[in-house]
Amino acid sequence: MTLIEVEKHEVEEEPKPEVLRVRGLPFFPHFLLREVVVMCLIAGSLILLASNYPASLLKPADPFDTPTPIYPEWYFLYVFGFLKFWTWNIGPIEAKIIGVTVPMILWYGLLILVPFIDRNPSSDIRKRKLAVALGIIALIGVLFFTYYGIVHGE
Amino acid sequence: MSFSDKIYKWLDDRFKLRELLPSIVKHPAPENVISNPLYCLGGTAFLCFIILVITGIFLAMYYKPTPAEAYNSVQAIMTTVPMGSLVRSVHHWAANTMIAAVMLHMIRIYFMGAYKKPRELNWVVGIFLLLTVTTFGFSGYLLPWDQLSFWATKIGTGIAGSLPIIGGYISLILMGGTDIGAETLTRFFAIHVLILPMAIAVLLGIHFLMVRIQGISGRL
Repeated sequence: MTLIEVEKHEVEEEPKPEVLRVRGLPFFPHFLLREVVVMCLIAGSLILLASNYPASLLKPADPFDTPTPIYPEWYFLYVFGFLKFWTWNIGPIEAKIIGVTVPMILWYGLLILVPFIDRNPSSDIRKRKLAVALGIIALIGVLFFTYYGIVHGE
Repeated sequence: MSFSDKIYKWLDDRFKLRELLPSIVKHPAPENVISNPLYCLGGTAFLCFIILVITGIFLAMYYKPTPAEAYNSVQAIMTTVPMGSLVRSVHHWAANTMIAAVMLHMIRIYFMGAYKKPRELNWVVGIFLLLTVTTFGFSGYLLPWDQLSFWATKIGTGIAGSLPIIGGYISLILMGGTDIGAETLTRFFAIHVLILPMAIAVLLGIHFLMVRIQGISGRL
């Protein structure tokens, strides 16, 4: 009996939800239609790519035959490139340790912290020049180390 | 009353469809989200994920995760299994497209400032999704057991293994020993088809639920 009263009380205390006015179109059919069109385009492109450029299969793996040059997957090239680029020891820390820690631990740590570092509440691109500049620098950095990784493949 | 009306009524009596459906069907999407193609990137990644699940299941039916059989089974998929070459190639292209789409999606979110309050945690979940997706790619790369897979994995495990403190453990857990061998292949297979699919399903669920609750950040 008491429990029911408590529940009722809580329900009464809740403020009535205001009617949300959003300038937009309903999910169905407008939004879904666009999604279906995009899905058809993507699926079609994937089949086209797959039939024209099939996935490769080289010679079987041989631990005693190192091919040259060897590259990691394209999305890890920037890590590989940074490791090749950074050849300076800092104090007692070896260059190799820095070369793997910076693009893996530090970079991902920084990415996770982005919303907590950038406290600027504005999402207007003209009012967040610093964030945009840093973003462009990070992008150029990743592209540069990717390029460096390609050029300096083992 | 037509047959479909009867089915609708039967379900409506049991699941209150009349109350549930309009909130899903009529949920408004901001106009600029519909007209701007940049908002397609997340959906593109998700479509690639669905395609990867389907093609991946078919590949798993023919693939054999042992050093002696792996290469031959992939070769059989490419040459003798009906449509095998197409399914593996679509899997390959969908994987690369998904990683590219996830990265571009992240770049859009960053430059539009869509990670700001109240969406901070969804950005964090997104970074974990990026990690999951690249680990998917890394673990899948070894499975064909050809020269490219073997030596790319050699580089990858080498880099992960030289991280301070945790590196040694990571490389031991990944390789199941000191060198890439049968243990590594079965581990990568288990990671690729069991661990990561579960992880990504949970993360995607949270990701989409948060978008649903908070709405799409709708300005440029």
